Amino acid sequence: MVKLIRYLSLLALLSASIGSAQAALVEERILLTFIPNVQFAPFYVGIEQGHFADAGFDVSLDHLQEPEVLDLVAVGQANFGIVSGEQVILARSRGRDVIYIFEWFQQYPVALVHSAALDLSDLEQLRGLAVGIPGRFGASYSGLTTLLSSAGLTESDIEVKEIGFNAAEVVCLGAVDAAMVYANNEPLQIRNRAAAGDCGAITDVELITVASQVDLVSNGLIVGRSLLDSDPDSAARMAGALKAALRQAINNPARAYLSSLKYVDTLPNGASLVAELEAAAERQARFLASHPDRQAVAASRAELLRQLSQQFDPSLLAQFQVLLNTIELWDADELGFSDLASWEAMRDTLALMGFLGDELGDLADAFSNDYVLGGSE
Amino acid sequence: MAKNESTQPEIARPYANGVVWRRLSPLATVLVLILVWHWITDWQLVSRILIPPPAQVLQSLAKALADGTLAKHAGTTLGEMMLGLPLGVSIGLAIGYAIAKAPLLEYILSPIIVAFQSTPIVAYAPLLIIIFGTGPSSKVVTTAVIVFFPTLVNTIVGIRGVSPRLRDLMRSLNASRWQIFRKLELPSALPVILAGLKTSATLAVIGAVVGEFVGSGSGLGVLVISARSQYDTPLVYVTVLTMTAIALSLYSLVALVEWRVLVWQRRST
Amino acid sequence: MRLRLQQLAVSYPAPGGTLLPALGPITFDIADDEFLCLVGPSGCGKSTLIRVLAGLLQPTAGSAYCGDALIDRPLPDIAIMFQDANLMPWRTVLDNIALPLEIAGVAESERHQTVRELLPQLNLDGFELAYPAELSGGMAQRAALGRVILQQPRIWLLDEPFGALDALTREKLSLELLRLRQRSRQTIVLVTHDISEAVLLADRIIVLSRRPGAVIADIAIDLPRPRFAAMIYQPEFLRLTKQVRESIESLRD
Repeated sequence: MVKLIRYLSLLALLSASIGSAQAALVEERILLTFIPNVQFAPFYVGIEQGHFADAGFDVSLDHLQEPEVLDLVAVGQANFGIVSGEQVILARSRGRDVIYIFEWFQQYPVALVHSAALDLSDLEQLRGLAVGIPGRFGASYSGLTTLLSSAGLTESDIEVKEIGFNAAEVVCLGAVDAAMVYANNEPLQIRNRAAAGDCGAITDVELITVASQVDLVSNGLIVGRSLLDSDPDSAARMAGALKAALRQAINNPARAYLSSLKYVDTLPNGASLVAELEAAAERQARFLASHPDRQAVAASRAELLRQLSQQFDPSLLAQFQVLLNTIELWDADELGFSDLASWEAMRDTLALMGFLGDELGDLADAFSNDYVLGGSE
Repeated sequence: MAKNESTQPEIARPYANGVVWRRLSPLATVLVLILVWHWITDWQLVSRILIPPPAQVLQSLAKALADGTLAKHAGTTLGEMMLGLPLGVSIGLAIGYAIAKAPLLEYILSPIIVAFQSTPIVAYAPLLIIIFGTGPSSKVVTTAVIVFFPTLVNTIVGIRGVSPRLRDLMRSLNASRWQIFRKLELPSALPVILAGLKTSATLAVIGAVVGEFVGSGSGLGVLVISARSQYDTPLVYVTVLTMTAIALSLYSLVALVEWRVLVWQRRST
Repeated sequence: MRLRLQQLAVSYPAPGGTLLPALGPITFDIADDEFLCLVGPSGCGKSTLIRVLAGLLQPTAGSAYCGDALIDRPLPDIAIMFQDANLMPWRTVLDNIALPLEIAGVAESERHQTVRELLPQLNLDGFELAYPAELSGGMAQRAALGRVILQQPRIWLLDEPFGALDALTREKLSLELLRLRQRSRQTIVLVTHDISEAVLLADRIIVLSRRPGAVIADIAIDLPRPRFAAMIYQPEFLRLTKQVRESIESLRD
């Protein structure tokens, strides 16, 4: 009995010391959408390479649906979440006081994908065609509405088909003429299938991005009003950490991919691919030490993909390629800033869809660029 | 041991005592729930974002009824259920009967059936949508699939539970196969089959809504997603409560049929 | 109608692929209009024999004939009454008794008429719309009796039909059975474990041995008819009872 008590007190002492060692870091949960995926690489980079720890956070990640992310942040059950800008407008129009403090995606990620055989050089030619979307909600629907309205069309001019998140299958089956997809992911899938002769009559596809027509506010970091009132410094530190991690992911995609392996089970992680990426990450780190500009870094990414393509099967590189495609949507001279015009464009689209509640108020309250300034790259 | 042989059979009236209270008690439960709900929101125990006040939900219901939204989506879901339920139930009855009569079939079919049953329908619903298209037919299929199993199992149990001595009786009367089915197996298995049908009736809503979640143009599953995506929490509540109401009505309908058909069971207790 | 059993034997499959002999081989005739009682220790194959005669069970060897017809399936002339009433719980008394007519395709109004005429004889007046669970054991067995009567069989097979009832009800029903039989004579094969009941009812008693059942005694009961309950105190009745009992007891070891 005495032995047991001694053992237990030792254990308590031990755990207390571990506790105090971690006390310097604040545990924070960041709520993400979708499922673990290489597209969330900046967050994996931030954890693995210490950007969050440097800012005083011990970060864990959770994946939920967008409305759940938003509501949990709105009621203060989590301090940070990642949602698209339209969700912020919709939620604010129905009484949720959340504020968007960091724009992660510089370009609205949604695009219309269609067979290259179909001529859509003028969007007006969409008239009468069948277009697939996951459903009448979310970024795909907003994107479609924006595309249509920029061409002077409305939903009744085309045939909208709700196809769930099955665009690749449905497009290849020929059940729709075009589909709204995430520009960085599905087109690649469809291209790979078409190249393998596994996509019906389709041999190649083309993309019309929403961003090419209208600048819409895209995915970013949100916080609740109460956090900004009680601890604005923590919001600034988080925005700064995300900015640094994002820049790191953009600059060194090989390292970002390797950081993601631990979080995304489905990523190809063969020994030779990992070894090759390790070497590439080392080379890239030395290259970055010379402070190259954005164009030079972009060129280095393209060169890396070219080299890897010579050694590895396209199916092994598909996810790496998704990462590179996504980086194109992230990259900008100044990360994290969103401008009022892109918010107004999004609000107009949502109003057109009839989705807005009546509590929106001043759009300028929905976002702030003040907290990005707190961080450094 | 033997009952008094001279008494007349009396019509059993199980609800004769306190019938009013017994009937009203579920209603009272609902009223208490609504009151508690009202207080929770009134005293701001939980954010209104998560639980809107009952009055707001009622307003939303009135609006959804007035502009036809609810009727349109509920109509779609009901339509899918009204096709899927009979389809799944009749396949369940047919295969269940065949398995009960031919145990060899059970060995052949049970791996497939158990695999189907133990895989969550949410996981393979997207495949059904791809195979059967994004229209109502795929939801008819998800509904049929989900109601199939309870019907199947209860049919097997019901038919296997038929008294072997009553089978002997029917054989000694030179009854035909059809007569044995119609006059012995069916009435004997009916209580168990109807119990399965009650389960199926409530599952039918789930089947249709799961199909709609994956990809659909209308239906209560779509309405709930679209209300949620517009942060219209009161409308989410209205939709969920509508699903509950449909499931309850269908359940009660089967219970009513049961009550009418199984007079002998009430009299026998 | 006459029943003939020729080298009749039944075996059941036992674990290990062997066959467990249950009955016979036995050979005897049952005369037209005869009331035969089968007695013997439990497990002697009495019920097996009844099932073979009912056409519900195929013999392993030998055969049974009803008149000239081989019994290889249930024959319309033969009816069986089971140990308990074996009524359908979801049918009223009326519809349970009418079942044989319903199977034969008789119209509903006609078969209900027939049953209603029979009810007074069965002492079931006023119970036609009751369900089996609402009946006493004796009433249920009388309903089962009514069902057999409506089959109008030439041969009745009765497998301990009153075995589950108390002594008084059983005696009452046995005598009712005799009364009913006097109106239209049929061949009756009754399985019983009650020696007094057998002597009181039968023209002839066959005692079967332990498994596999074989005929060890064939005793003619020449008591005068009609029989009545008080007969059990007569010396002749007691003598016959003793004779049956002794032949059964001879089986002990």
